[in-house]
Amino acid sequence: MVTMEPIFTDSSAHPERLSGQLHTGRVRLVSDRQSDASFLIHHFLSFYLRARCKVWFLGLVQSFNHYSAVSQRLGVSLAQAKEKGQLVFLEGLKESLSVLIPQDTNTGSKAMDFLRDPAVGLKSLYEFVRSSVSSSGSRAEGAEEWGPLVLLVDDLSVLLSLGVSVGAVLDFSHYCRATVCSELQGNVVMLARCDGEEEEGDGDDEGSETLLKGLTHQCSLTLHVQGLPTGFCRDIHGQVEVCWRRRQGDGQSTQKKLFQYKVHDKGASFFAPGTSSAVL
Amino acid sequence: MLTELLQGTDAGGFLIIQDSASYSGRHLLKSFINAALHREEAVHVLGFEVSEEELKDGLIGASIHRLHFHNAYTDPLGWTHNPAFTVHQFCSEGVTQLVKQTSQSKPATLVIDSLSWILRHVGPPAVCKTLQQLRKGGAVRAIIGLLHADMHQRGTVGSVCHMATSVITVAPGMKGDEAVAKITKRSKSGKVMQDEEIFSFKEDFTVVVQNRPSQLGLKQTETEERETDPTANLTFNLRLSDTEREAKEKLALPFVFSKEKKTALLHSGRGSGRILYEPDANDDYDQEDPDDDLDV
Repeated sequence: MVTMEPIFTDSSAHPERLSGQLHTGRVRLVSDRQSDASFLIHHFLSFYLRARCKVWFLGLVQSFNHYSAVSQRLGVSLAQAKEKGQLVFLEGLKESLSVLIPQDTNTGSKAMDFLRDPAVGLKSLYEFVRSSVSSSGSRAEGAEEWGPLVLLVDDLSVLLSLGVSVGAVLDFSHYCRATVCSELQGNVVMLARCDGEEEEGDGDDEGSETLLKGLTHQCSLTLHVQGLPTGFCRDIHGQVEVCWRRRQGDGQSTQKKLFQYKVHDKGASFFAPGTSSAVL
Repeated sequence: MLTELLQGTDAGGFLIIQDSASYSGRHLLKSFINAALHREEAVHVLGFEVSEEELKDGLIGASIHRLHFHNAYTDPLGWTHNPAFTVHQFCSEGVTQLVKQTSQSKPATLVIDSLSWILRHVGPPAVCKTLQQLRKGGAVRAIIGLLHADMHQRGTVGSVCHMATSVITVAPGMKGDEAVAKITKRSKSGKVMQDEEIFSFKEDFTVVVQNRPSQLGLKQTETEERETDPTANLTFNLRLSDTEREAKEKLALPFVFSKEKKTALLHSGRGSGRILYEPDANDDYDQEDPDDDLDV
């Protein structure tokens, strides 16, 4: 039933609660506009690790230690998960060094090769994802069996800043979806960020707006994080608009829901607008 | 008009469903596929955007075997070693071959999901050329395409839609279930018909068209205001009797320049004062010759 897994502490307003069942084959897009939705990425990371899923994390913006430190607060040890083979982490920043500072003993993967020539596209990055995701299927004897695969990408907008075209990023996300969701029956969670106001018309073709629209068309659930329209508030850090794009099997008609959230030290809490514990 | 379109596009027809990030047109596309299958037509789907499973989800029935899904979803760009159908194979020969391979003698309905995917990789002129060739080719009876209008420039969307015989633009409606469809249909005679309808879906992908949306959106039903008589319930009399009303209407207002006043001024009546003037020598004052001594 549930496609929304965040931890609801003041959850009396929501009919969706954590169910034992994890949906597969879904693509969730986490996006933000002039805000920071990375707390949702940290949340999903720790959630899926706790749910004993095999997690494949494409971390392009922060180092492994950063995610590790945050996850520690959320009660999950990334280093341990990595050791056990539950988490496969591509540290984009580290890998890119081998491209930017080429050395003779270069045994690095071809993942970040697009940095050399962004016009070429993200085929090599996809091939890297595919090969390591598929190879994770063949486990060693006696290894633990994990749940469905989850691919987390943080984040896709940085690829635009690195010179990759919007079309190439959309192709990459399409291929990830085809491989992870359809072929391997896993889930994909991607983060895409927007800096400016929402623009109308065909002004900037190669912008984060077009990327966001393209990704929205591809996914089944979007979580759009924004600041409160009325301004800064100490107790409510912003709002999340959840949008279900595909119709649910049971013909659920609700398509959009708005929640407000507050980020704590140990996670985030979500509540219906106006029901913040500071207000009630 | 939506129901008419669902009942069948004419041969050579090209229908475009335009959607946006706020509302997906794929559901309506599936309704069209469903309707075509029920009409016992062979339907060929060029699936770039969603997998076969996802597209066929919900389309149950005996006629599903008439739906041929050409998988351009797993590898549309040829990144793996044996792609089924790539976006670069989208040309009139490639598609015709694909359709003829699996179809019987009857021309099929071609469904493209989505045109946006192809437009991103193959330029608009090539896409338009292919579509035109397919329409004239004869292998394909009708074409239905899904287009994400917010993914392209307006010019691109305009050029592709210009080729279409019907364009349906879908947008979210007021209530959760409903959606609004703006339909433009061009008939062979050149007549263009436009319509706007609110519709929703039933479980089996049939479309239920509701009433047309009112121009002002949520119209508040105004109760007729009964005219209240201000002269009632007073301690003094504000009403006029008939004679009083007559006298009131007859009264000429003092500063109104009516026709009667005008004639009275122009034609002075008998007995009124008259002014007789005889010009005096002293009054004959010429501005230009004050001393009256110029010999002009």
